[in-house]
Amino acid sequence: MKCYYCALQGGESEAVAICIVCGMGLCMEHAIRKDVDVWEGGYPFPSKRVKAPLPRILCPECYAALYGK
Amino acid sequence: MTVSLGKRSIAEAVGTFILVFFGAGAAAVTLMLASGTTPSTPFNIGIGALGGLGDWLAIGLAFGIAIAGSIYALGRVSGCHINPAVTIALFATGRFPGRDVGPYIVAQLVGAAAASLLFAWAVGPDAVAIGGLGATAPFLGIGYLQAIVIEAVGTFLLMLVIMGAAVDERATPGFAGLAVGLAVAGIITATGNLTGASLNPARTFGPYLGDWLLAGQNLWALFPIYIIGPIIGAVLAAFLYDYLSGD
Repeated sequence: MKCYYCALQGGESEAVAICIVCGMGLCMEHAIRKDVDVWEGGYPFPSKRVKAPLPRILCPECYAALYGK
Repeated sequence: MTVSLGKRSIAEAVGTFILVFFGAGAAAVTLMLASGTTPSTPFNIGIGALGGLGDWLAIGLAFGIAIAGSIYALGRVSGCHINPAVTIALFATGRFPGRDVGPYIVAQLVGAAAASLLFAWAVGPDAVAIGGLGATAPFLGIGYLQAIVIEAVGTFLLMLVIMGAAVDERATPGFAGLAVGLAVAGIITATGNLTGASLNPARTFGPYLGDWLLAGQNLWALFPIYIIGPIIGAVLAAFLYDYLSGD
Protein backbone atom coordinates (compact mmCIF):
# COMPACT_ATOMS: atom_id res chain seq x y z
CA MET A 1 0.00 0.00 0.00
CA LYS A 2 1.19 3.52 -0.79
CA CYS A 3 0.78 6.66 1.33
CA TYR A 4 -2.35 8.52 0.27
CA TYR A 5 -0.92 11.95 1.04
CA CYS A 6 2.29 11.33 -0.87
CA ALA A 7 0.21 10.03 -3.79
CA LEU A 8 -1.79 13.27 -3.81
CA GLN A 9 1.51 15.18 -4.15
CA GLY A 10 2.66 12.91 -6.97
CA GLY A 11 4.98 10.86 -4.76
CA GLU A 12 5.02 7.15 -4.19
CA SER A 13 6.21 6.32 -0.65
CA GLU A 14 5.28 3.04 0.98
CA ALA A 15 2.62 3.15 3.72
CA VAL A 16 3.85 2.06 7.13
CA ALA A 17 0.56 2.60 9.01
CA ILE A 18 -3.17 2.95 8.51
CA CYS A 19 -5.35 5.68 10.00
CA ILE A 20 -7.59 3.99 12.58
CA VAL A 21 -10.51 6.27 11.66
CA CYS A 22 -10.59 6.49 7.84
CA GLY A 23 -8.27 3.65 6.85
CA MET A 24 -5.87 5.76 4.81
CA GLY A 25 -2.42 4.31 4.17
CA LEU A 26 0.22 6.58 5.68
CA CYS A 27 3.99 6.92 5.42
CA MET A 28 6.12 7.83 8.45
CA GLU A 29 5.97 11.49 7.51
CA HIS A 30 2.16 11.67 7.44
CA ALA A 31 1.25 9.25 10.21
CA ILE A 32 0.41 10.91 13.53
CA ARG A 33 0.69 8.80 16.65
CA LYS A 34 -1.69 9.84 19.41
CA ASP A 35 -1.28 7.92 22.66
CA VAL A 36 -4.55 7.57 24.59
CA ASP A 37 -4.70 6.86 28.32
CA VAL A 38 -6.85 3.86 29.19
CA TRP A 39 -8.77 3.84 32.48
CA GLU A 40 -10.34 0.73 33.94
CA GLY A 41 -12.67 0.11 36.87
CA GLY A 42 -14.94 2.57 38.62
CA TYR A 43 -17.57 2.73 41.35
CA PRO A 44 -17.15 1.45 44.05
CA PHE A 45 -13.43 1.41 43.31
CA PRO A 46 -11.21 4.23 42.11
CA SER A 47 -10.50 4.04 38.39
CA LYS A 48 -7.00 2.91 37.51
CA ARG A 49 -4.99 4.20 34.60
CA VAL A 50 -3.44 1.29 32.74
CA LYS A 51 0.34 1.69 32.74
CA ALA A 52 0.84 1.64 28.98
CA PRO A 53 -1.22 4.06 26.91
CA LEU A 54 -3.06 2.83 23.84
CA PRO A 55 -1.30 3.91 20.63
CA ARG A 56 -3.59 5.28 17.90
CA ILE A 57 -2.40 6.13 14.41
CA LEU A 58 -4.29 8.94 12.69
CA CYS A 59 -3.96 10.78 9.40
CA PRO A 60 -3.59 14.59 9.58
CA GLU A 61 -7.24 15.18 8.61
CA CYS A 62 -8.72 12.81 11.17
CA TYR A 63 -6.34 14.15 13.81
CA ALA A 64 -7.53 17.69 13.07
CA ALA A 65 -11.18 16.60 13.11
CA LEU A 66 -10.87 14.78 16.43
CA TYR A 67 -8.56 17.11 18.29
CA GLY A 68 -9.14 20.41 16.52
CA LYS A 69 -5.47 20.94 15.73
CA MET B 1 -2.31 3.86 38.72
CA THR B 2 -5.08 5.64 40.69
CA VAL B 3 -5.23 9.27 41.73
CA SER B 4 -3.45 10.05 45.02
CA LEU B 5 -4.90 9.02 48.37
CA GLY B 6 -5.19 12.70 49.29
CA LYS B 7 -7.39 13.48 46.31
CA ARG B 8 -9.46 10.35 46.86
CA SER B 9 -9.97 11.32 50.51
CA ILE B 10 -11.14 14.78 49.44
CA ALA B 11 -13.59 13.12 47.03
CA GLU B 12 -14.92 10.95 49.88
CA ALA B 13 -15.34 14.01 52.08
CA VAL B 14 -17.17 15.91 49.33
CA GLY B 15 -19.44 12.94 48.55
CA THR B 16 -20.36 12.45 52.20
CA PHE B 17 -20.89 16.20 52.56
CA ILE B 18 -23.43 16.07 49.72
CA LEU B 19 -25.14 13.02 51.25
CA VAL B 20 -25.54 14.64 54.68
CA PHE B 21 -26.29 18.19 53.55
CA PHE B 22 -29.12 17.14 51.24
CA GLY B 23 -30.28 13.88 52.86
CA ALA B 24 -30.15 14.70 56.56
CA GLY B 25 -31.04 18.26 55.59
CA ALA B 26 -34.26 17.00 54.01
CA ALA B 27 -35.16 15.26 57.28
CA ALA B 28 -34.49 18.45 59.26
CA VAL B 29 -36.54 20.55 56.85
CA THR B 30 -39.44 18.08 57.06
CA LEU B 31 -39.45 18.42 60.84
CA MET B 32 -39.38 22.21 60.50
CA LEU B 33 -42.28 22.11 58.02
CA ALA B 34 -44.30 19.91 60.33
CA SER B 35 -43.50 21.99 63.39
CA GLY B 36 -46.69 23.02 65.14
CA THR B 37 -48.81 20.23 63.70
CA THR B 38 -50.24 17.74 66.14
CA PRO B 39 -48.80 14.27 65.68
CA SER B 40 -51.59 11.74 65.36
CA THR B 41 -49.75 9.14 67.43
CA PRO B 42 -46.72 9.17 69.74
CA PHE B 43 -44.99 7.09 67.04
CA ASN B 44 -45.06 10.20 64.88
CA ILE B 45 -42.45 12.85 65.71
CA GLY B 46 -43.45 15.23 62.94
CA ILE B 47 -42.08 13.44 59.92
CA GLY B 48 -45.21 11.69 58.69
CA ALA B 49 -47.52 14.45 59.87
CA LEU B 50 -47.56 15.94 56.38
CA GLY B 51 -48.06 12.86 54.26
CA GLY B 52 -47.50 9.65 56.17
CA LEU B 53 -44.90 7.46 54.55
CA GLY B 54 -44.83 10.01 51.74
CA ASP B 55 -42.68 12.18 53.98
CA TRP B 56 -40.21 9.35 54.32
CA LEU B 57 -40.32 8.70 50.58
CA ALA B 58 -39.44 12.35 50.00
CA ILE B 59 -36.57 12.15 52.47
CA GLY B 60 -35.48 8.84 50.97
CA LEU B 61 -35.47 10.32 47.48
CA ALA B 62 -33.43 13.31 48.67
CA PHE B 63 -30.86 10.84 49.99
CA GLY B 64 -31.12 8.61 46.93
CA ILE B 65 -30.72 11.38 44.38
CA ALA B 66 -27.82 12.92 46.31
CA ILE B 67 -26.14 9.52 46.48
CA ALA B 68 -26.72 8.76 42.80
CA GLY B 69 -25.34 12.17 41.85
CA SER B 70 -22.28 11.66 44.03
CA ILE B 71 -21.64 8.22 42.58
CA TYR B 72 -21.81 9.46 39.00
CA ALA B 73 -19.70 12.50 39.84
CA LEU B 74 -17.04 10.96 42.07
CA GLY B 75 -17.27 7.19 41.64
CA ARG B 76 -14.29 7.02 39.32
CA VAL B 77 -12.14 9.20 41.57
CA SER B 78 -12.43 7.53 44.98
CA GLY B 79 -15.04 4.82 44.49
CA CYS B 80 -17.52 7.11 46.29
CA HIS B 81 -18.14 4.82 49.28
CA ILE B 82 -19.31 7.82 51.36
CA ASN B 83 -20.09 5.27 54.07
CA PRO B 84 -17.62 3.66 56.51
CA ALA B 85 -19.69 0.44 56.51
CA VAL B 86 -19.19 0.09 52.74
CA THR B 87 -15.47 0.80 53.03
CA ILE B 88 -15.10 -1.79 55.80
CA ALA B 89 -17.13 -4.41 53.89
CA LEU B 90 -15.00 -3.97 50.77
CA PHE B 91 -11.87 -4.25 52.93
CA ALA B 92 -13.20 -7.33 54.74
CA THR B 93 -13.72 -9.14 51.44
CA GLY B 94 -10.21 -8.25 50.25
CA ARG B 95 -11.24 -5.71 47.65
CA PHE B 96 -9.96 -2.57 49.29
CA PRO B 97 -6.45 -1.98 50.71
CA GLY B 98 -6.22 -1.76 54.50
CA ARG B 99 -3.90 1.27 54.41
CA ASP B 100 -6.66 3.32 52.74
CA VAL B 101 -9.45 2.39 55.18
CA GLY B 102 -8.47 4.87 57.92
CA PRO B 103 -8.07 7.91 55.63
CA TYR B 104 -11.34 7.10 53.87
CA ILE B 105 -13.31 6.86 57.12
CA VAL B 106 -11.76 10.03 58.53
CA ALA B 107 -12.62 11.85 55.30
CA GLN B 108 -16.20 10.60 55.42
CA LEU B 109 -16.61 11.77 59.03
CA VAL B 110 -15.08 15.17 58.24
CA GLY B 111 -17.38 15.61 55.23
CA ALA B 112 -20.44 14.66 57.28
CA ALA B 113 -19.49 17.01 60.14
CA ALA B 114 -18.86 19.88 57.73
CA ALA B 115 -22.24 19.32 56.09
CA SER B 116 -24.15 19.40 59.37
CA LEU B 117 -22.35 22.49 60.64
CA LEU B 118 -22.79 24.35 57.36
CA PHE B 119 -26.46 23.34 57.22
CA ALA B 120 -26.98 24.66 60.77
CA TRP B 121 -25.27 27.94 59.90
CA ALA B 122 -27.18 28.36 56.63
CA VAL B 123 -30.63 27.48 57.96
CA GLY B 124 -30.39 28.99 61.43
CA PRO B 125 -31.10 27.87 65.01
CA ASP B 126 -34.37 26.09 64.11
CA ALA B 127 -32.33 23.58 62.09
CA VAL B 128 -30.88 22.39 65.41
CA ALA B 129 -33.72 23.13 67.83
CA ILE B 130 -36.55 21.74 65.65
CA GLY B 131 -34.86 19.81 62.86
CA GLY B 132 -32.16 18.27 65.04
CA LEU B 133 -30.00 18.51 61.89
CA GLY B 134 -31.75 15.34 60.73
CA ALA B 135 -30.16 13.20 63.42
CA THR B 136 -31.23 9.56 63.64
CA ALA B 137 -32.67 7.90 66.75
CA PRO B 138 -34.87 4.87 67.40
CA PHE B 139 -38.58 5.68 67.48
CA LEU B 140 -41.06 4.90 70.24
CA GLY B 141 -41.12 1.19 71.03
CA ILE B 142 -37.90 0.36 69.17
CA GLY B 143 -35.28 -0.93 71.62
CA TYR B 144 -31.52 -0.67 71.35
CA LEU B 145 -30.99 -4.20 70.03
CA GLN B 146 -33.99 -3.98 67.73
CA ALA B 147 -32.60 -0.78 66.28
CA ILE B 148 -29.23 -2.44 65.63
CA VAL B 149 -30.98 -5.28 63.81
CA ILE B 150 -33.09 -2.90 61.70
CA GLU B 151 -30.01 -0.89 60.75
CA ALA B 152 -28.16 -4.11 59.94
CA VAL B 153 -30.96 -5.40 57.71
CA GLY B 154 -31.27 -2.07 55.90
CA THR B 155 -27.52 -1.83 55.27
CA PHE B 156 -27.51 -5.49 54.24
CA LEU B 157 -29.83 -4.64 51.35
CA LEU B 158 -27.80 -1.55 50.46
CA MET B 159 -24.55 -3.54 50.33
CA LEU B 160 -26.17 -6.37 48.42
CA VAL B 161 -27.22 -3.90 45.72
CA ILE B 162 -23.70 -2.41 45.62
CA MET B 163 -22.24 -5.93 45.21
CA GLY B 164 -24.68 -6.96 42.50
CA ALA B 165 -24.96 -3.70 40.59
CA ALA B 166 -21.40 -2.41 40.88
CA VAL B 167 -18.80 -4.80 42.28
CA ASP B 168 -19.78 -7.80 40.15
CA GLU B 169 -18.01 -7.53 36.79
CA ARG B 170 -21.08 -9.05 35.12
CA ALA B 171 -23.26 -6.12 36.20
CA THR B 172 -24.72 -3.90 33.48
CA PRO B 173 -22.43 -0.85 33.34
CA GLY B 174 -23.76 2.59 34.12
CA PHE B 175 -26.72 1.69 36.31
CA ALA B 176 -25.04 1.34 39.70
CA GLY B 177 -25.61 4.92 40.81
CA LEU B 178 -29.29 4.78 39.99
CA ALA B 179 -29.75 1.34 41.55
CA VAL B 180 -27.95 2.26 44.77
CA GLY B 181 -29.77 5.57 45.07
CA LEU B 182 -33.17 3.99 44.59
CA ALA B 183 -32.33 1.19 47.04
CA VAL B 184 -31.45 3.76 49.69
CA ALA B 185 -34.70 5.65 49.00
CA GLY B 186 -36.69 2.45 49.41
CA ILE B 187 -34.94 1.41 52.61
CA ILE B 188 -35.45 4.86 54.14
CA THR B 189 -39.14 4.84 53.18
CA ALA B 190 -39.62 1.48 54.86
CA THR B 191 -37.49 1.85 57.99
CA GLY B 192 -37.19 5.62 58.43
CA ASN B 193 -39.86 5.75 61.10
CA LEU B 194 -38.22 2.90 63.02
CA THR B 195 -34.60 3.97 63.43
CA GLY B 196 -34.19 6.97 61.14
CA ALA B 197 -32.66 4.59 58.56
CA SER B 198 -29.09 5.82 58.78
CA LEU B 199 -27.38 2.82 57.13
CA ASN B 200 -24.20 4.80 57.51
CA PRO B 201 -22.14 5.73 60.61
CA ALA B 202 -20.91 8.94 58.96
CA ARG B 203 -24.45 10.06 58.14
CA THR B 204 -25.33 9.82 61.84
CA PHE B 205 -22.01 11.25 63.06
CA GLY B 206 -22.45 14.62 61.31
CA PRO B 207 -25.81 15.58 62.82
CA TYR B 208 -24.83 14.16 66.25
CA LEU B 209 -21.70 16.30 66.32
CA GLY B 210 -23.56 19.36 65.08
CA ASP B 211 -26.35 18.97 67.64
CA TRP B 212 -23.84 18.41 70.43
CA LEU B 213 -21.71 21.43 69.53
CA LEU B 214 -24.64 23.75 68.89
CA ALA B 215 -26.54 23.10 72.12
CA GLY B 216 -28.96 20.63 70.59
CA GLN B 217 -29.66 17.15 71.87
CA ASN B 218 -26.82 14.94 73.08
CA LEU B 219 -27.47 11.64 71.31
CA TRP B 220 -24.01 10.04 71.53
CA ALA B 221 -25.34 7.17 73.67
CA LEU B 222 -27.24 5.99 70.59
CA PHE B 223 -24.24 6.17 68.24
CA PRO B 224 -23.22 2.49 68.68
CA ILE B 225 -26.53 1.50 67.04
CA TYR B 226 -25.45 3.27 63.88
CA ILE B 227 -21.93 1.87 63.96
CA ILE B 228 -22.61 -1.76 64.83
CA GLY B 229 -25.76 -2.29 62.75
CA PRO B 230 -24.52 -0.91 59.42
CA ILE B 231 -21.10 -2.57 59.65
CA ILE B 232 -22.56 -5.99 60.48
CA GLY B 233 -25.14 -5.69 57.70
CA ALA B 234 -22.66 -4.55 55.06
CA VAL B 235 -20.03 -7.16 55.89
CA LEU B 236 -22.61 -9.97 55.93
CA ALA B 237 -24.02 -8.88 52.57
CA ALA B 238 -20.57 -8.72 50.96
CA PHE B 239 -19.62 -12.21 52.15
CA LEU B 240 -23.03 -13.64 51.25
CA TYR B 241 -22.83 -12.20 47.75
CA ASP B 242 -19.37 -13.69 47.27
CA TYR B 243 -20.68 -17.07 48.41
CA LEU B 244 -23.79 -16.94 46.23
CA SER B 245 -22.04 -15.73 43.10
CA GLY B 246 -18.97 -17.97 43.41
CA ASP B 247 -18.49 -21.22 41.49
